[in-house]
Amino acid sequence: MLSAGLVLSACGSAAEDSGSDSSGPWSFVDGSGETVKLDEIPKRIIAHAGEAAALMSFGIRPVGIYGDESVKTDPNLKDLDLDGIEILGEEWGVIDVEKAAELDPDLIVADWWPAEKAHGGFEEGVEEKSLKLAELAPVVGATQGESILSLAQGYEKLAESLGADVDDPELAADKNAFEEALSRFKEVVASKPELTVLAVSPSDDLLYVANPEYAPELLDFQEWGLKVINPDSPDKGFPYWENLSWENADKYQPDLLMIDSRQFDSTLAQAEKHPTWQTIRAAKADAIIQWPAFWLHTYGDYAQALEILADDLEKADENIGD
Amino acid sequence: MPTVTTAVRSGKTALARRSVVVTAVLGVVAFAAFVLSMMVGSVWLGAGEVLGSLFRVTVDRGTDFIVLDLRLPQATSALTVGFALGVSGTLFQQLLRNPLAAPDFVGVSSGASVAAVAGIVVYGAGGLAVPAMAVVGALVSAVLMYVLAFRDGLSGYRFILVGIGVSAFMIGVVGYLLTRADLHDARQAMHWLIGSVGQAGPTELRVLMVVLVALVPVAMLLQRQLRALELGDDLARGLGTRVEWARFALIALPVVLIGLATAVAGPIQFVALVAGPVAARLLRPAPGGVLAAGFTGAAVLLMADMVARHVLPTELPTGVVTGAVGAPYLLWLLATANREGVGG
Amino acid sequence: MSTTGTVSVPVRRRAPVLGTGLAVLLVALAAVAFLSVSLGSRSISLADVLRALSDMTVTSTDGSVTLEMRVPRTLLGILVGAALGVSGAVLQGVTRNPLADPGIMGINAGAAAFVVLAITVLGLRGISAYIWFAFLGAAVATLLVYAVASLGREGATPVKLALAGVAVTAGLTSVTTGIVMTDVDALNELRFWQVGSLAGRYAPILFGVAPFLGLGLVAALACGRSLNGLALGEDTARALGLNLARTRLLLFAVVAVLCGAATAACGPIVFVGLVVPHIARVLCGPDYRWILPYSLLLSPIALLLADIAGRVLGSPGELQVGVVLGVAGAPCFVALVRYGRMAEL
Repeated sequence: MLSAGLVLSACGSAAEDSGSDSSGPWSFVDGSGETVKLDEIPKRIIAHAGEAAALMSFGIRPVGIYGDESVKTDPNLKDLDLDGIEILGEEWGVIDVEKAAELDPDLIVADWWPAEKAHGGFEEGVEEKSLKLAELAPVVGATQGESILSLAQGYEKLAESLGADVDDPELAADKNAFEEALSRFKEVVASKPELTVLAVSPSDDLLYVANPEYAPELLDFQEWGLKVINPDSPDKGFPYWENLSWENADKYQPDLLMIDSRQFDSTLAQAEKHPTWQTIRAAKADAIIQWPAFWLHTYGDYAQALEILADDLEKADENIGD
Repeated sequence: MPTVTTAVRSGKTALARRSVVVTAVLGVVAFAAFVLSMMVGSVWLGAGEVLGSLFRVTVDRGTDFIVLDLRLPQATSALTVGFALGVSGTLFQQLLRNPLAAPDFVGVSSGASVAAVAGIVVYGAGGLAVPAMAVVGALVSAVLMYVLAFRDGLSGYRFILVGIGVSAFMIGVVGYLLTRADLHDARQAMHWLIGSVGQAGPTELRVLMVVLVALVPVAMLLQRQLRALELGDDLARGLGTRVEWARFALIALPVVLIGLATAVAGPIQFVALVAGPVAARLLRPAPGGVLAAGFTGAAVLLMADMVARHVLPTELPTGVVTGAVGAPYLLWLLATANREGVGG
Repeated sequence: MSTTGTVSVPVRRRAPVLGTGLAVLLVALAAVAFLSVSLGSRSISLADVLRALSDMTVTSTDGSVTLEMRVPRTLLGILVGAALGVSGAVLQGVTRNPLADPGIMGINAGAAAFVVLAITVLGLRGISAYIWFAFLGAAVATLLVYAVASLGREGATPVKLALAGVAVTAGLTSVTTGIVMTDVDALNELRFWQVGSLAGRYAPILFGVAPFLGLGLVAALACGRSLNGLALGEDTARALGLNLARTRLLLFAVVAVLCGAATAACGPIVFVGLVVPHIARVLCGPDYRWILPYSLLLSPIALLLADIAGRVLGSPGELQVGVVLGVAGAPCFVALVRYGRMAEL
């Protein structure tokens, strides 16, 4: 309320240009389209989980991380050394802003979600208190929703502006691995022109069919030639999915089913409880593969995911569905 | 003769003094809980730091941010919601002459929830529309209960039973609305249904504060009418009370407060039920007062919220704690009630 | 003298009428059950439904939907409905209280709370593992509510019973929510109990609870005479040779098994157990030997109709039967309070 003065003057002092000094000024075009300017290159960064992983892949360590789940289970943070980084939240919508204030951050990094017009962690429905995080420092991030590749590129650009040497051979190795994985993926897809894929999320009451328009990695796959089926009547209020009642589970007959890789086994077990799961021919033939449905943020992670997918697609039978 | 009148008069002044002192003590307790709730958290602060920041005596950016920006809104929300619940609870209980007639488990707050949830989910309402709808919802369900329960007069028990039915009905409707909603997060839906001080938005909170400041003096004035009504309609009329008007005001005022409190924090149970009787017990033999019940409600809710946030391993919605504490109290009330307390 | 004559003669004369009534209800139940099997979000022609029912083997998706989804759902609806109605009648008889109902008395909340504890604390999964905890929770809640309400001079009055039920429900719900909010696995499993529903329940769940429900129903039906005895008041019942304590305990145990199993399978479903026995009483008079079978048939009809309504109204999704009954049953409850035997309150 009264102490809005704590907010670092993001826009106020932009006019002053100190020029040659490599420590500033700093500016970045946020996913929202707005340009954020600071007098100095921000050093103390608080980042959302996946975004933190992206920055760390370029050698930039945040001082604090907040995630939507436990940092131990978050796939984006897998195998990362988080020693010395303060964990500010492990549940969607709940951020310990008191701890964050103690860290005295210069910048907060979180994806921009165009559909919700908010940065990750500041969406509608989060705790009122969590929103105050934005008063500690300006928030920037790459845009979510169109492509995982552009997300990785966006953080490459951000890391560069923060002083990372993105052309360092060690860092460039990840990017090369990604390029190689991508060309192999395209090759495999081209060799199976008839193959159709459906991304689903089975639950107790409904079978959710993913709408690629709202899943950036599925949009990428489509662009690279894979025939991911677009559901014909997504839910009007929540167009991320088409909701099929289990009685209508056989509406689409793809050659291959994709299930969220995060809870693959338990989700599959959930699906198998429903008798009509077997009426999807791909399910009956056990043509089910892992769908990397969490927003990958780094070239390295994306390269890995594409390699696994290419292996799966190579083995796939393109005549199961029709 | 003169000795008797003096005795009565001095008895009266003694009672009045007791009432003022106890109410003042309750006010201090509520304020202490208010300050205490701003001391605890990830960062512990001293009472001096909190007070200094609160009254702008000391200026420290870090402390000010934590106290004024982070903790004050939630503490204010607990204070005002608790006060509103306490005031409306005690008015209902006194009007219906039954300690069980609390607006939180007869259907008033569930009516407010239905309207607020419907506003958010169906019409995408925001800002001032939500508290407005909650008040309308509370009023509609109160009128509904009054009409359904009125039969040659208003019996407290019939009112309570009808209220339980109306409440079940409203909860069914909320369930329906939530299944139709895009709230894919079951946790979030549950949070709202249980009631949580932390979910308060600034607009709703401001409305509740303004209304509280305006209505509490009215409630204190109405308390006199209540005493008159207790003597029976005819006698009250003889004493110059406009009976129908007084009864209408005595129902409308708590209903408006409950509606707004629900819009701020969701349907928090049992605070309205507990505050009045606890205050009355502390004041005894002086008669129960609106202010005392309000302070008690505020202190109870502030403490429940502190327990919900800090004592338990995970942060929980406030309503979980008030429910877990209030339910045994209600059972105890039922078990120990004598004939005039809970007949059948 | 004359009273015994006027009472006994019409009862004897009404036996065939009441028997015919039962037969009519049985036919109605069969019709509603058939409706429940033929309706759903997938449109399947009547001919295909009949073919699936006569073949009893799954050859197509239509057959799978009919036989593996709708038939178990319908059978479960019949069993659970019957269990709730009959346990409501038994509860009203044993407490001599017209407002007694498994939902209002917090019995469902007790079952749900114990199931959640079993899931989180003991790590049990699957209905066959935690159904015993549902029984235990139902029994604990029943006894707690009844005991609290019975304290005091005037005993378990309707108001006290209802209020004790509200209090126990609120307290247990708080405990359940508190646990669930800290445990995501439990939250997923609890979605099953949040609102009563028949959706997504297939053969394994049906077979899991059917023996308990069947046994409980048979036991309850055999209790008509004891309930009639209790209805006459404690002294008369004792004079008739009834062991009051043992009879009450037995009846409460039956209720706990019926409600526990029903809740474990479908979650909390309110008002069926309250309203249906009153309708049964209007139809066949105060004799529990008739009230029980009437409730047995009327409740599943009500439950299945509400379930069908939920599927039609909620299309393309569906509305849980617990929600439909909550909305439809509350006016019945209010009417009962206002015009029924509660009016003298």
